[in-house]
Parts: sequence; C-alpha cells; structure tokens
Amino acid sequence: MTHRELELQLDAYVDGELEPEDASDLEAHLKACDDCARLHEARVTLSAAIREQVPALRAPDALRSRVRATLRNAAGTRSVGRVVSPGAARWLALAASLAVVAVGSWRLGLSRAGEDALAGQVLASHVRSLMPGHLTDVVSSDQHTVKPWFNGKLDFSPPVYDFAGRGFPLTGGRLDYVGGRPVAALVYGRRQHLINVFLWPATRGSVGGPRPVATRQGYHLLQWTTPEYAYWVVSDLGMAELHDFAQLVQQADSAATRPAAARPLP
Amino acid sequence: MEPSELERFEAMVLPHLDAAYTLARYLTRNDHDAQDIVQDAYLRALKYFSGFRGGDGGEGRAWLLAIVRNTAHTWGRRHRADALTTEFDEEQHSDVVAEYHPAAALERDSARETLHGALDRLPPEFREVIVLRELEGLSYKEIGDVTGVPIGTVMSRLSRARLRLQEALCAGKKGE
Repeated sequence: MTHRELELQLDAYVDGELEPEDASDLEAHLKACDDCARLHEARVTLSAAIREQVPALRAPDALRSRVRATLRNAAGTRSVGRVVSPGAARWLALAASLAVVAVGSWRLGLSRAGEDALAGQVLASHVRSLMPGHLTDVVSSDQHTVKPWFNGKLDFSPPVYDFAGRGFPLTGGRLDYVGGRPVAALVYGRRQHLINVFLWPATRGSVGGPRPVATRQGYHLLQWTTPEYAYWVVSDLGMAELHDFAQLVQQADSAATRPAAARPLP
Repeated sequence: MEPSELERFEAMVLPHLDAAYTLARYLTRNDHDAQDIVQDAYLRALKYFSGFRGGDGGEGRAWLLAIVRNTAHTWGRRHRADALTTEFDEEQHSDVVAEYHPAAALERDSARETLHGALDRLPPEFREVIVLRELEGLSYKEIGDVTGVPIGTVMSRLSRARLRLQEALCAGKKGE
C-alpha cells in the first residue's frame, strides 16, 4: 500500500467509514508501524481541534423569523387575502405572539379611567387574537398587500410598515373592534413572540412617544399618539424589545408623514 | 400550497436552519451573504418540495444542504467574483505545500485563529467537505450527495483538506 492510499484509508477509518474487514487490517498495521500510528494520532487530534475551535453556528434569530415569514408568504401566494386557514392559523398562534394593535378613536378621551378601560379592551383583543384562527384576516409579509386589504373595511387607510430587516417581520393584519369603533390590527413577529399593533385615527390626546401603560397577565402594553393616529402595542415580548419596536413604528410613521421626506423605510 | 403541506415542509426543513446557516456562513465567510443565501435556499426548497420524496430528518438535511450549497455557488458567481468562482483544479489545489500569507502571520496569536484562518483560506471545495464532515457529521455518501461528486472524490478532498489544516495547526503551535 502506498503512503497516499494509506492516508485515504486512515481518514475513512477515523470517520468510521471503513468496512469492518479493512478496519481490522488497518488497526493491525497501526500497531506495527510507528509512522502510521503518529499519522493516525495527528488526525484524531485535528478532528478534536476542529470541533473545539471551529464551531457549528446557530442561525441568528432575525434570520429564523425572516425565513418563516418568507415561507408563509410564498406558500400563501396563491391565496393572499383569504381568511387564513385553520392549519396555518394554528401554526401562527404557536409561532409567535407579537401583534401590534393601533387603536384610535376620537370618542375616547385619554383620561386615566378611559385609558384603563381601553388597555383592558386592547389586552382582551390581543389574547383573543392568539386563539386559533383569530390572528389574521390577511396573511402577508408585504405591506403593499396588507395596507390595501383594509380598503372599504375602515374609514381610514392605516399606515403599514414591514420591519423584517430589523427583526420584526410583518405577518398580517385583521379588523378588530376597540373603544367602540372598528380599528386596524397589524401583526408582527419576533422570534417566538407575536406583537399586535392596534391603531385608529386620533383627534384628541397629547402627541408623544411610546410609553408603557400597563403589564397585565404577562403582557406588556405600550401606547402613544401621533398627530394622526392613536397606537397601542401589545405583546408578551420583553418590555425593552417591545419599546424598541414601538419606536421603529413611530419613526416610520413620522418619516412617512414628513412633507419633504421620500418615504424611506426605516 | 396546502397549509398541511407547508406544515410538513416546515417540520422537515426548519430544524436544519442552523446547519444551513453554518454551511452558508463558512462558504461565504460573510454573515450578511450567508443569511441571504439561506433565505433564498429555503424558498427554492419550498419550490422543489413536491419533487422531494425523502423520509426521515437525515435525508431532509442533506437535501436542504445541497440546495444551500448550490445557492451559495450561484450567489458567488453573481455577487462575489472572487469568492467561490475560482476554477477548481483537483490537482493544482492538491499541493499540500502550505501557502505563506504575511497577513496570516498576524493571526497566529493562537491556534484557534490559525485553524479558523486556515479553513477560510482553503478552496471552497475543501472547505465544504470539512464543514459537512467535522461540523455537521454527514456521512461520505451524504457529502457526495450534497456536493455532487463520487465518494472517492469526497475521500480525497477530505484527506487533502485535513493535511492542509494539520500543517496550519502545527505552524500555529510552533509560533506560540
């Protein structure tokens, strides 16, 4: 056997790919030949060093969400806009709980009591949305599919953004009813979590940035008001990440409404 | 696609996301490209899924990794003129004389960086067999399926790639 042939055999031996008969031949040879024994030793050391120093990697969470959203979107291409089927809804409910609910109503004064009542309704709506089949009426990660879907269903056209690039992929949207009026609910994903964003036109209440309103039953609620809309965001996601998300929405909104701005995505 | 079909697809290929990312990451040596490639590969996999008649998870993994690999090579041709397109010459690249890279000397502070650097400097055809075998634990047959070469070629590539890494490891130890 040439040196080269032996090396090939040695690799197959170390990898457990050698036929049992050949393996025992090789083992006998290793006992007799110091050079080959050293070669074998070096191969074993190398494999251990590779496994120790060159790690198998874990896919980033953002990629995980992105791939899921892409698959759902691609698989649903032929049926965009239909009510999500029970199977897909179950999957969605399992997958995450990040839904952004923007709820706005001129009828709702933002008095403390009014806010409390509203928080209760938003939370109830979020929890209901997580039950199988209730999450989304339109399933799409494309903002240009979700936004037009609301036409004719609401008396306003809600701004819809996708933040897949920031790790919060848009999942879909649905109609909801909060504070005595129909509102837009947008659903976003974050790893295994779902975020509901509720929004509706706001004509009262002081304009400001996202602020935590309450934490109830393990869900966080954030609220803010823009010149145009009242926003509520609910999720079981950690408060810090949820706040980051709320800021993304707010920034996208203000960029979109700035007169001279060319509507860049955040 | 029927929801049940999508569920079947996800159950079969989503568990291999880490493996897919690992392969893409080491092939491209770039996180951003690796993520794009993995996403693209999953879309392709979804498209071809109806033609896949594999059973258990192992077959699904090799099938997905083959798509990731092909996607990475196509991607390399399109986006990174130098990364994966060097014409691979089995004999020429088989010289086991260690190439001396002045920049690499800086990396020799530790054996870890040396091994990492040495892997990165291998031709992609060598790099992928190391990743598939050592990191993902694929069999020779599976590696052959993923890379589209006969088992004999898998063996010789693996052997040559290891020789190079071994030299880098020794050089690293001497430099310490």
